[in-house]
Amino acid sequence: MIGRTTTTSHPLADIITRLEQGGALLPDSPENVMEVVGILKSYGYVLDAYWRNLIYISEDQFLVLFPFFKYFNGEVSWNKLLRHWWHDRINYEFSEYCMKAMFYHGGGKLDAFLDTAEFVELAQQAIAARLKGNLFMQTLSNTFPGFLLEQVRQMVYYSALGQFWRVMSPMFLTLSDRYDRGEIPTIPDVVSHVLNGLVEAANKPITYAVQIGDRRYPIVPESVGATFLMDAAVPYVEAVFFRSFPFMGTVSYNAQAGQIPPDIERFAYGALYADPLPIGGAGIPPTLLMQDMRHFLPDYMHLLYQRSPRGEADLRVRICASFQKSMFCVTTAAMLGLMPYPPDTTDPDQQAQNRVYLENWMYRFIDSRLPSVQSCEI
Amino acid sequence: MLSILVWIPIAAALVIGLLPHSKAALPRWIALGATGFVFVWSVVLAIQFDELTVNTQFQELLPWIESLGLSYQLGLDGLSLPLVIINGLLTWMAVYSSDKTIQRPRLYYILILVLNSGVAGAFLAQNLLLFFLFYELELIPLYFLIAIWGGSRRGYAATKFLIYTALSGVLILAGFLGAVWLSHANSFDYADINTQLLPVTSQLILLGLIIVGFGIKIPLVPFHTWLPDAHVEASTPISVLLAGVLLKLGTYGLLRFGLQLFSESWSLLAPYLAIWAVVSVLYGAFTAIAQSDMKKMVAYSSIGHMGYILLAAAAATPLSILGAMFQMVSHGLISAMLFLLVGVVYQKTGTRDIDVLRGLLNPERGLPLVGTLMVTGVMASAGIPGMMGFISEFLIFRGSFAVFPVQTLGSMIGTGLTAVYFLLLVNRTFFGRLPEQFSNLPSVSWTERLPAFVLAILIVFLGIQPNWMVRWSETTTTALLSPEAAIATAPPNAAQSPHDLEAATNLNRPAVSANML
Repeated sequence: MIGRTTTTSHPLADIITRLEQGGALLPDSPENVMEVVGILKSYGYVLDAYWRNLIYISEDQFLVLFPFFKYFNGEVSWNKLLRHWWHDRINYEFSEYCMKAMFYHGGGKLDAFLDTAEFVELAQQAIAARLKGNLFMQTLSNTFPGFLLEQVRQMVYYSALGQFWRVMSPMFLTLSDRYDRGEIPTIPDVVSHVLNGLVEAANKPITYAVQIGDRRYPIVPESVGATFLMDAAVPYVEAVFFRSFPFMGTVSYNAQAGQIPPDIERFAYGALYADPLPIGGAGIPPTLLMQDMRHFLPDYMHLLYQRSPRGEADLRVRICASFQKSMFCVTTAAMLGLMPYPPDTTDPDQQAQNRVYLENWMYRFIDSRLPSVQSCEI
Repeated sequence: MLSILVWIPIAAALVIGLLPHSKAALPRWIALGATGFVFVWSVVLAIQFDELTVNTQFQELLPWIESLGLSYQLGLDGLSLPLVIINGLLTWMAVYSSDKTIQRPRLYYILILVLNSGVAGAFLAQNLLLFFLFYELELIPLYFLIAIWGGSRRGYAATKFLIYTALSGVLILAGFLGAVWLSHANSFDYADINTQLLPVTSQLILLGLIIVGFGIKIPLVPFHTWLPDAHVEASTPISVLLAGVLLKLGTYGLLRFGLQLFSESWSLLAPYLAIWAVVSVLYGAFTAIAQSDMKKMVAYSSIGHMGYILLAAAAATPLSILGAMFQMVSHGLISAMLFLLVGVVYQKTGTRDIDVLRGLLNPERGLPLVGTLMVTGVMASAGIPGMMGFISEFLIFRGSFAVFPVQTLGSMIGTGLTAVYFLLLVNRTFFGRLPEQFSNLPSVSWTERLPAFVLAILIVFLGIQPNWMVRWSETTTTALLSPEAAIATAPPNAAQSPHDLEAATNLNRPAVSANML
């Protein structure tokens, strides 16, 4: 690697140095690789279920006032209903929380487009077609003209997140397959795999259209220019990994006491900050995702968890800790992908700019779980 | 039938004593079997017990040293039955909760069995000297159980316990001897003693000796200082026995030998005893608030809760005495449960310091069920309706208020303070974020949870359906204060002046019956 003469005084200087030397936010160790790949495999299976449901909701539950069966993906039966009530199902609510976080924090061309007149016009056409013959809904829409429009904006995010995860899910499953074949021996290899996947899909268009009757109504056309990396992946990382929102749980927040920043840019309740111990605590409740992932854990992950003092009795905590490790790898990939200059540049000016870029990221990580995951235990 | 309760543990202790050293696990099984049998036998006795009979039942009489007036006379009434049952239950639980790898297991289980026998004998004895023998018998095993298997200051705590309780024994013996000799009774049998013929001054002196003697055992402020030390240094099973059973010997003695034998002079001392009760209640509560050791907090809570029993005894109404009886059992079960849970917390975390512990209710890495049981236990101790603590405190306060309204109100403040210190305990220990140092606690097995779980069920069940226990004691506690009872305890040839009977029952009793339960 390129020799660097200067060191930074940043509190996370060691991690910055590691990144500059081609490493990742997460230290490299065989156990970390196994843990990250194993958890991403189960995450890949869960994401597959999530994106299918998100796309189903955005396309088939468009402006359904009471979407009782939105988690059924169009297959409503007594058997499925009973299993749903018995909670033998995927917690699709988690994907909705993520969608709402993205919707809340916005960012990118997609968010900007939703405030344009063009979007309003396209959305109104779809709304009019959907409400045709429905006097009640028409009256409701005319009385509250912004109501259904906001519902359509939300549907756009259902679709955008679905499209994002549609790419991520097979990427994680492929990572697992490569690991099984011995092609992923280190954490930088994990990061490289994710980075390549992101780069490969970077310019995929993010679009949204609904089929009503015989006609397909475009709501986010390709001409908007929304793309996978900048308008779905980056806003997702920002909203879900970093910001999210103060969620009711073991940790309670008092807005009047100034415990919640007044501007959402300073929110730090995302997945990278969530405390694995108080399950259902701050940020998007991780419990739902952990419950889903435990069904798809590879055997070697079970063996790993059984070695802990509580065996698998605290499985969700262990999954959450592993998940955070894996998300730091995904974040590393995003960071490296957005780096102003290649990490291995020899130009001192470029190195300096990369350093400033990394330091700015690292300031956001000071209060995250990054310092904790540097050691193997939570 | 009653001798089984006394001699089975002794026989089991002998068998354990004869076992070879190589059979390390056997003493525990024998102790479990013997104490389990004793508990089941006490339940059998309870089933056969006629709750409408005033007189003692299942009586056994064996002349022993007639020249001394000592006879082996056992009997069971509504005052002793519930205590005999919790003695069996809690001793079994203490054995069950004992460390399976405990050092010197033979001696340990022998001492527990002897302790169990001594306590059962004291509750069943119908002869003052026999009671005293059993009362003294339980001191020796308890001393060794603290001194050998206790904490780092076990020697100090055990010696302090021994000095205090030996002094208690001396005072009680002096009181007993005085009562028998001055009243010219033929023997030490309860039924032969009538102190009402004694001059009031003599009665007061003798009663004073007995009250202070049992006051040390209860313990009442300022004779309490041995208890927190003993609890802190004793292992969990011994703390369970200490709080659950042994303190009850003091309150039992107060009712049996103070109130029943000295009914006339009791009424003279009652106002002072009620004030003493309030001091004990408030002192115990305020001191508990200041503690940071969970075990000490529960120990001081015991001092406060024993004060309620003194208040009830001072008021001496049928309802208050019934409440005192219920409080003995209620406190026995609740404090045993709390000590068991504190023991589990200590075993898993290595500390009892509420300033260090935090977040133990964490569902994944903490002790959630232990925390839930602890919340249940402190709710019961604080007298939350639906649990035993509420019933006993309600009976005591309702029964005492008409006689000592100010003192009762003072004691009721203690109930509020119980909620304060136990909420502090629960809030600091179980709520909040589990600290890193406790984030890898070993899990609690069901065998560790079982005793506290069973106690929690009993506490709630008897809180909802107190009549299942009250019915055993109501006749006895009512008779304890009635003229008929005075006659029953007097010798057939003793003169009964209307004045004596009037004095014995000259207490303002509210027209409230336990049947309202």
